[in-house]
Amino acid sequence: MVSQIGEALQSNSVIITLNSVGWMAAGLEIIHYFGMFVLVGSIAMVDLRVIGIAGQQQSATKLAQRLFPWMWAGLALNFLSGFVMFAGIAASYIPDPTFHMKMWIVLAAVVFGIIVQWKLPAWDKSPTMPISAKLIATVSLLLWVGAILAGNEVPALSGLG
Amino acid sequence: MTDSSVVTFGNWLQHQSFALSVATSDWAYPFVQATHFTGLSLWVGTTVATDLSLMGMGNQYQSPLQLFNALFVWNWIGFCIAVLGGFLLFSAAAATYVINPAFLTKLGFLIPVALILHIVIQTKMREWGQQPKMPRVAKIAGSVELLFWILVVTAAVSIPYFG
Repeated sequence: MVSQIGEALQSNSVIITLNSVGWMAAGLEIIHYFGMFVLVGSIAMVDLRVIGIAGQQQSATKLAQRLFPWMWAGLALNFLSGFVMFAGIAASYIPDPTFHMKMWIVLAAVVFGIIVQWKLPAWDKSPTMPISAKLIATVSLLLWVGAILAGNEVPALSGLG
Repeated sequence: MTDSSVVTFGNWLQHQSFALSVATSDWAYPFVQATHFTGLSLWVGTTVATDLSLMGMGNQYQSPLQLFNALFVWNWIGFCIAVLGGFLLFSAAAATYVINPAFLTKLGFLIPVALILHIVIQTKMREWGQQPKMPRVAKIAGSVELLFWILVVTAAVSIPYFG
């Protein structure tokens, strides 16, 4: 069933065109990387603020309100371009364990990003950041670095992409 | 330097023990790549947020100067991490990189121009930030810088197409 979806995706003519015309394939990579930098840079700054080593002179909530829209915009660019690249050789990615690991880490990182965004106004009300907040922000930061590493391990270990 | 002395330098660099260990170890290369990309996330992420703020976006929460102050230190920490990772990636295949037109465009033209503009923006930020409304020149500088970093990523992605 899943492998049939993979076959259907990679035989779709739009997907084939996007992945095989040189400048379009390069464009997908550019969007994927640029989106990732904006996504990870934005959430990392909020995490570092919560941990207590960035922008201490101003409110964490304000910084987060400013950066979270860019985080979501970066995620959207990263996800859409990533999906098209995945779809191009979906049947090979679907059974690949390194790719699974990358997707689980990304999913966990997004969940932690949502937790930080959701909890931040409450954390910011207390005079000092609660220790649980710092812990969650640290995990979020490590997960994003892990997601980047896992992304590099997919071509290194599986030869895909 | 002539073409051949650049290639000689590239060959020398990629035969240094640290470069060989990045190039030949199964685990080191992805780690070094991840270092480069983590640094770039901090650098590009904080730079883009500042540029968008100069262009007038997202300023309802805090002024561009407040944002700039919050991001400044980590902006440059990200830069240092990116340069460290980038240098190690470069040294692993230096002789190939020094003759690649996309790499030469990236390192010889786009990054210097983008960096100079970045530093000009940072030195002007305080002055611009004291005005009630961002001057027109700040908006232009922010948009041009954003465009330049997109071009840097474009050149970087194009490197394998010329290799």
